[in-house]
Amino acid sequence: MQLAVNIAVLASIYALISCGYVLIYRVSRVLSLAHGELMMLGAYGLYATASLFSGQPLVAVAAALALSLLVGVLVYVALMWRMTGESVLAAVLATIALGILLRGAMILMFGTQTRHPLEELGWTNASIEVGDDARISGVGLALVLATTVCYGLLFAFLRMTRWGIRMRAAGQNPLLAAQRGIGLHVIYALAWGLATLTGGLAGMLIASDAGLESTMVVIGLKAFPAALVGGLDSLAGALLGSLVIATAEVLMVYYVDPLLSDVVPFFILLAMLVVRPWGFFGSREELDRV
Amino acid sequence: MSDLLLRLEGLEVVYHRVITAVQGVSLDVPQGGIVALLGTNGAGKTTTLRAISGFIGLDDARVTEGAIHYRGERIENLAPHRITARGIALVPERSKVFENLTIAENLEAVVTRRGANRRQLVDSIYALFPALARLRAREAGYLSGGERQMLAIGSALACAPDLLLVDELSQGLAPVVVEELMDQILRVRVELGTTVLLVEQNAHIALEVADYGYVMENGRIVLDGTPERLRAHADIQEFYLGAGGGQRRRSYREVKQYRRSRRWYG
Amino acid sequence: MSVPRASGYFRTRYERDFALLDTRTRKASLAAFAVMLVVYPFFAGPLAMDLANQVLLGAIGAIALMLLTGYAGQISLGHAGLLAAGAFATGILYKELGAPFWVTLPASAMVGAALGLIFGLPSLRLRGLYLAVSTLALHFIVIYLGSEYETKRGFSTGILIDPPGIGEWTVYDPRAWYFVLLIAAAATVLFSLNLLRSKTGRAWRAIHGREAVAGALGISVHRAKLTAFVVSSVLTSVAGCLFAYFRGFVSVEAFSLFLTIQYVAMVIIGGMGSILGAILGTVFVTLFPYFIEWLMDAFGLTDALSSVVFAVNYSAFGLAMVLFLVFEPQGLVGIWRRMQAWLLLWPFKQKPLAGAK
Repeated sequence: MQLAVNIAVLASIYALISCGYVLIYRVSRVLSLAHGELMMLGAYGLYATASLFSGQPLVAVAAALALSLLVGVLVYVALMWRMTGESVLAAVLATIALGILLRGAMILMFGTQTRHPLEELGWTNASIEVGDDARISGVGLALVLATTVCYGLLFAFLRMTRWGIRMRAAGQNPLLAAQRGIGLHVIYALAWGLATLTGGLAGMLIASDAGLESTMVVIGLKAFPAALVGGLDSLAGALLGSLVIATAEVLMVYYVDPLLSDVVPFFILLAMLVVRPWGFFGSREELDRV
Repeated sequence: MSDLLLRLEGLEVVYHRVITAVQGVSLDVPQGGIVALLGTNGAGKTTTLRAISGFIGLDDARVTEGAIHYRGERIENLAPHRITARGIALVPERSKVFENLTIAENLEAVVTRRGANRRQLVDSIYALFPALARLRAREAGYLSGGERQMLAIGSALACAPDLLLVDELSQGLAPVVVEELMDQILRVRVELGTTVLLVEQNAHIALEVADYGYVMENGRIVLDGTPERLRAHADIQEFYLGAGGGQRRRSYREVKQYRRSRRWYG
Repeated sequence: MSVPRASGYFRTRYERDFALLDTRTRKASLAAFAVMLVVYPFFAGPLAMDLANQVLLGAIGAIALMLLTGYAGQISLGHAGLLAAGAFATGILYKELGAPFWVTLPASAMVGAALGLIFGLPSLRLRGLYLAVSTLALHFIVIYLGSEYETKRGFSTGILIDPPGIGEWTVYDPRAWYFVLLIAAAATVLFSLNLLRSKTGRAWRAIHGREAVAGALGISVHRAKLTAFVVSSVLTSVAGCLFAYFRGFVSVEAFSLFLTIQYVAMVIIGGMGSILGAILGTVFVTLFPYFIEWLMDAFGLTDALSSVVFAVNYSAFGLAMVLFLVFEPQGLVGIWRRMQAWLLLWPFKQKPLAGAK
C-alpha cells in the first residue's frame, strides 16, 4: 500500500515536470534540457517571494507562479527566439547552455545550502494516513492534486479554447499557421511560459517536500524519459509514461537496489526507443521530422 | 476595369542569393476579379505566389528588385502573418490543412482580420461548402482530396481576406471535383466579394473561370490576355490545352520553334 | 577538399585536391608550429605545462566527437560515458589484474569499439533528437555500472592508478606526459584527416548531407553510421584510458553530464565540420576557467567571490556558449577563416555568399 502511494506521488512529480517537455516540444519542436534548472528557479522564486510576503503564504505562492510564467516567456524572448530556423542540435545546445548559465547564476544568488521554502511560508508538512498502513505527506498529496488540476486545465485549454487550438495548429504546421495569421512568436512564448509555470510549480512542491538543493536538476532530467516514453508530442502519453517510469523505479528501488534509482528511467527509455521509438501515444512521423 | 487590388512591378526573386527564380514579373489583379497565372512546372508561379504571401523569406529567398503593391502599400518582405492581417490569404499547394485538428478546429484556429464578423463568416463558409458543415467534427487528416481542398479554401476564407491566392487548385483531383471547386471559387467572388489569383497548370480549367490570364515561363511572363485571346493563341492551344495533340507528337524542332516564337512576347 | 589559400597557386592534378598540405607557406608554417610544440615544454612553467597537457588530452576526445557529430552528423550526448568506459576499463584491469599500460590501452580501445557498436545501434533507427536522447540514456547506464563497481568493490572514493611505464621508465613528470600526449594527439589528428579523405570520410559527409541520397548513391548508410560511432568511441575510450593514467585516479564523479557538455561545447565553439575547429574549441574550453579566474584577479574580485568561483565559471561558460550559438554559429573556425580571407584579399574586401563555407 505504501508502495502504491509512493508510486502515485513519484508519478505525479514526473507527470508535472514532463508536461513542460511535451508542451515545448509539441509546439516548437525544441527539446528543453534547461527544464530542471527552470524548475529550480521556480523553487527559488517561491523561496524569495516567501520571505518577501511573509505572513501571506497564498500571495507568495501566486507571486512565485506568476514569476515562473514570466521567466518562461523571457527565456523565449531573450534566447530561444533567435534559435528558430537553426538546427535541432543548436536549439538543444542553447537550452543546455541556458541551463548551465542558470545553475551558476542560482548558486551565485542563493548559495549552495539547502533551503526550505515551506518553513519560510509558515506551513508544515503534515503526514496523513491513507488506509491502514500507508502515509502520504501533505506536500505529496498537494503534488498529486496539482498534477491532476494542471493536466485537466491543460487538456481543456488545448481542446476548448481558441488559443489552445492555435497552439496545436502551430505545433503541427507552423508555416500554414503563420499564413493563417497566427503569430508564431506569441504562441512559442506562451508555450515556454506555460511549460516553465508547470515546471516551476513542480519545483516548488518538490522543494517543499525534500528541501531545495541542486539535486533537483537530476529529477528534472529523470522526468524527461517519462515524456519520451509516452510520446514527446502527447500530453496523455506523458501521463502514462510517468506512471510507467514511476512504477518501475519505485519497485526496482524497493526490491533490487537503491542505486538503480537514477538509471531505471533511462533503461526504460532505451527499451522504448528500441521497440517503439515514437512512444505510447506519439505520432509516428515525428521520427522523420527531427 | 475597376480599381487595382494587387500590382506586381518588375518582380525579381533570388534564392540563396544566387539563383534567380523569377525575373521582371509584372501583373495586375483588379478588385473583384479572378486572375489566372498559368505555366508549367518550374515556371516560377509558386515562387511568385510565395513572394506575395511573404513566405519566401523562410526559403532563404528575397525579393531583390521590383515591388509588390497591395492597396497602394508595398508589402514585399513583410512577415507572413502581417500580410495575412492585411487581407491576403494563401491556399498552399501542399500541407494545406492542420491534419490532426477537426474541421471545426481548423476554422477556429484561424486569426480573423480585425473588424470582420467571425461567426457570420464561418456560417457563410459552411454554406458555401456544405460538405464541411456535415463533417465538421472529423479530423482533417481523414478527409478526401477534394474535401481537403475545400477545407483549405474555407480556412483561408476564414481570415476574411480581400485577396485569395490559390496554388494549384486542380492538382491530384478528379475533373468532376475540380469543376465543383471552380464553381465554388466563382461563388466566393459573388457572395464574399473576394478577389482571386489562381495559379494553375491546367489552363483549360483556369481560363474557364478567370477574367484575365498570364502565362509564365522560365521565371518570366511571356503572354497575357483575356481568356478568349489566350485560348485562341496557337502556342497555348498546343502546349497548355493539348489541342491538336494526340495524333501529332511534339517533336524537338517544334518545341524549338515555339521557344523562338515565344521570345517576342518576353 | 578545400579552396587554395594562396594566389598564384593552381591545382593541376586531381590528387592535389586531396593533399593535406598544398602550398609551401602552409608546409613552412606547419613545420614552424611543430618546432614550437616540441620546444614548448622547455620554456613553460608548471601551470602552462599542465594546461598544455589538458588541452592535448581534451583534443583527442574533441576530435573523436567532431568526427561523429561534425562530419557524420550523428548527435551524441554520451561522450562522458565513453570516456568513463575507457577510464574504467583501464582502472578495473589495473586494479583486478595489475595489467600494464600496453594491455589496458588496447583493452580500452576494444571496450570502446564494443560500446561504439551499442551506442551506434539506435542510430540505425533514430535520428536527430531521438538519437541524442538514446546516447544520453547510455551515458547514465555506463555511469551506473561504474558506480556499481566502485561501491561493490569498496572503492567508493575512486580507483587509484600508478603511472604507466615500460620497464624502469615511467611517465610521471609533466614534461614526459606532454610528449606522450603530444604524440597521441598528433596521431589522432593525422589519423582523422586521412580517414576523412578516404571513402569512409566521404560516406560520412554524404550521410550528414542527406541519408536517403547517400543511400541512393550506393553508400551503405548503416555501415557508415556504425563505423562513425565505432571509430569515434574507440578514440574516445583511448582518451579515457590516457585520462585515467594522467590523473592517476578514476571515479564516476569526474564523468558527469557536464563533461559531455564541455566536449559538445568544444565542437560547437570550435566550429562544426573541422578538425582545426575541434582543436581550437578544446583550447578555448580548457583555458576558459583559467581566463575567468584571471579576470576575477584582475578586477580584484577573487576575495569577494572566492567561495563561488565554481559558480562564476559555470555561468560564464553557459553565457559563452549561448553567445557563440547565437552570434557565431560557425565557431572559432569561422572567425579564423574570415581572418584568413581578409588577410589574403587585403586591401580588397570579400563578402562571402550566404551558405558558402
